Order: sequence, then structure tokens, then C-alpha cells
Amino acid sequence: MFRMILFTQWKWSRLAVLLGTLAAFLLPILSVQHAGSREVTPWEARMLLTSIQSWSVLYPTLATAIALTLALMAWSADHRGRHVYALSLPVPRWHYALQRFGAGAVLLIPPAIALLIGALVAAALATIPHGLQTYPVALAARFALAMAVAYAVFFAISAGTTRTAGYVLSIPFIGDRLLLWPGPLEIFSGRWMLIDV
Amino acid sequence: MSHAIDIRDLQYRAGKTFEIRDLALRVPTGSLYGFLGPNGSGKTTTVRLMLGLLRPLSGSITVLGAQVPRDIPRILARTGYVPEQPHLYQSLTIDEALRFHSVFYPTWDWGWANELFGHFGLERDRRLSQLSKGEMGKLEMLLALAQRPELLVLDEPTDGLDPVVRRDVLGALLEYVSHLVHELERICDWVGVMDRGRLVAELPMQSFKNGIKRLRVANPPALPGDTPFVVLAREVNNGTETWTVRGWQPPMSQYFDGVGASLREVIDLDLEEGFVELLRTFRVPRE
Repeated sequence: MFRMILFTQWKWSRLAVLLGTLAAFLLPILSVQHAGSREVTPWEARMLLTSIQSWSVLYPTLATAIALTLALMAWSADHRGRHVYALSLPVPRWHYALQRFGAGAVLLIPPAIALLIGALVAAALATIPHGLQTYPVALAARFALAMAVAYAVFFAISAGTTRTAGYVLSIPFIGDRLLLWPGPLEIFSGRWMLIDV
Repeated sequence: MSHAIDIRDLQYRAGKTFEIRDLALRVPTGSLYGFLGPNGSGKTTTVRLMLGLLRPLSGSITVLGAQVPRDIPRILARTGYVPEQPHLYQSLTIDEALRFHSVFYPTWDWGWANELFGHFGLERDRRLSQLSKGEMGKLEMLLALAQRPELLVLDEPTDGLDPVVRRDVLGALLEYVSHLVHELERICDWVGVMDRGRLVAELPMQSFKNGIKRLRVANPPALPGDTPFVVLAREVNNGTETWTVRGWQPPMSQYFDGVGASLREVIDLDLEEGFVELLRTFRVPRE
């Protein structure tokens, strides 16, 4: 049963998964294109960090885009059919929702792995100035966690009606609580640096 | 008599205008039960309540001996359902839709599915979004039948099917929901009539068809008085009157002798005419 649900979700969202995987692989590699030599002045090292930092906003953006797309695609076919098909299948509703969630979560794996590989390749290719370090695994873990959190949030919201989603997202109090520690979206704030001190 | 479906005191409300009130309905096991009623009378809503797709305000629903909504997965595993509107995932091919559907039903019969597949003349690699209304109807029917259900619930399933396929598939029906009354007349042995969220009649098809007649009466009385049948309508034409009556039986012709009238002819009504007359009866006091 799970395989078939995974198959349908793959079919609906494969383009997003493939594009997201490609982007996740290329992003770390592109971000280190200005890394030059090991012997640089403090000013040049700072400029490199600034350059890396300017790319860092793209990681949470990409994680959010992939998670949002997968969450929306998980429910879009059921929304179109007004959930009649899903509700008429002989499985408990929580079970069906859990399997849909799980299938989407599985599809987050390729972009996460692609980012890890891309970050490892970038770290290997780039010449890092003295005093700076690369953090490919930490960056990939953060990216994977951000995708998982965003996917869970968007999946829950998109499972409801548009009106419910509107209510949830329009309450500033909830937005703050989500974004600030210990809110689940706190993962999106902070430093997303492949190269850092 | 055991009942495949037993609904008692069902209450449901959708918005401010539509409600189902005190609905009681019993579908005998092994019967072909047809649901009649004009658009918006509550047929589809009742079916959805029965299958747990909607939640009632109150009342009890038992399907195949199990309670709704508590035992819904168990009920749905034994029930084939063809909804009014196509509900399958449009981006799948027919083959993918079959494989997806089959994994949910332990009783799925691939042998019969393949047989029906050939019978319906469907192409496995066509996307559902490319199917005509008739092809989609065939596929929905195929999915419902190949799971070998104990109960088949069909909500206007023949809409768009060609006559040959329509005749073939209708033979396997246990529950039939339609306002296409001519089809019901051919296949159903029980009929329920809904109007404005109420079940206004539930009886064997033969009783329904036999009970409503049109009588041609000469020298009719000005007032029918205490008749042994229910007079639904009277029309004057050429010195005689045509009465539409409910609850008619042949011995009741003696009534006319007693009031000095003579019964010239008893005319059978087809199901559609009977259905219209029955609804008129129930609506007159409220209009």
C-alpha cells in the first residue's frame, strides 16, 4: 500500500523533486566559486565570508520551496476530488494521512543527499583560507531538518481547507511562535554557512 | 429479514437550507434497492452518510452488520462504491489506477478485473484525464466490481455509458441510486423514494408499480367520499373522469357501484408516472 502511495506522490511531484535535487547539488558548489587561495588577507577572508553569506539565504529558501511543493502535491489530487476517493478507501483516515506524509518525507531524501554531496564536492574543490573551516555535513543536516520541519508544517496546513490555512497563517502570534526558539521554524534562522570561522 | 443497510432516526444538516430529518431506511439483504427522488432530495447525501463520508448529527447507521462510523474501514473493504462524480486521480493511467486501487482491497480479483477490462474495451496506458465520460464510468464500475464487494453502492453510475455496457453491468447491482427511473424499473426489487430530505415511501417495486393506477370513471360522484384507495388527482375529459389513485386493488371496483358510478378502465402507470404522482401527493399539503 505504501509503495503505491509513494508511487502516486512521486508521479505528481517528480519534476519538483528532480529540480530541487539538482538545485541542492549545485548550490554549495556555486557558493564557493569565489574561494581563491589559502594565503589571503583578513579583508579578503571577510569578503569570502560575505560572499558565502549572501548565498546562505538560498538554502532555507530552497528547503522551503521543496517542502512546500511536496506538501501541496501530497494533497492536491485529493483536494481536486473533494477527498471522496481517499475517504472511500478502506483504511482509517489517520493511517492514510500518515502514509501520504511518509511518502512525501521519503521524497525529501534525494535533495538532502544531493546537498550533502554538493557540499562535500564544494568543500573538496574550494581552497579555504587559513582560519576558516568547511561544514558540509552540518549544512546538509540543517538543510534536511529544515525541509522536514517545513514539510510537516505545510503538510498539516494543506491537509485542511484553504480557509483553515488562511486562519493559521494570518495570526501573527502563531508566526512568531513558529519562528522563534523553541518554535519549529527556528531552524530557518541563524547561519547557513558552508565556510565559516 | 436481515438488512444489508439499516438507518434509523438519521438527522443531518448542510448549510441553512438542506437537511435530512428522521430518516429510516432498510435495505433487505440480497435485494436490488433503487433510490428515487428529484435532484437535491438527499439521495447522494444519504449514500455519503451511509459510507461514512459525512457525519450525521444523530441517528444510527448499520451497514453489513457493522456500525457507521466506528467500523467504516471494515465496511468499505466489503463495499464497492461508484460516486456521482468521477473521483479518481486524473494524472494516473488506467493501469496505475487499477494497481493503486487493488492494494487496498484484500478481496480484489485480478482475474475478473482483466475480464471486465476486456469487456469494457479500455486501454491500460491511457491517462484518466483523457478518458471520456463513458470510459470513466466503465473504469469506476470496473474498480467497484473487481473488489468482489458484498454491497455495491452506485450513485447514478450509468450516466454516459453506452446501452450495451449499461445493460451488462446493471445485472450485478445490489444497491442502485438513480433518478433514471426507467432503469430502476428494469432491475430493482425494492424502491425508496426521497423528497426534500425525507423518505416518503419504501416498498417492494411490484407494490409501487401496482399500487398506483389511473381509473377512467363514468358518472363520477361530485365528491369521492370515503374511498378504499387514495385519490391523488381527478381530471375531467369528455363526460368521464380520470382518477389517479394510490393503494389500488381489483376488489375495490365495488366502491364505484356503491356511489352510482361505473369503472370503465384501469390503466397501469409506468414507474416514472407513478413516481411523479407519488411526489405530487406528498408535496400538495405543504405547498
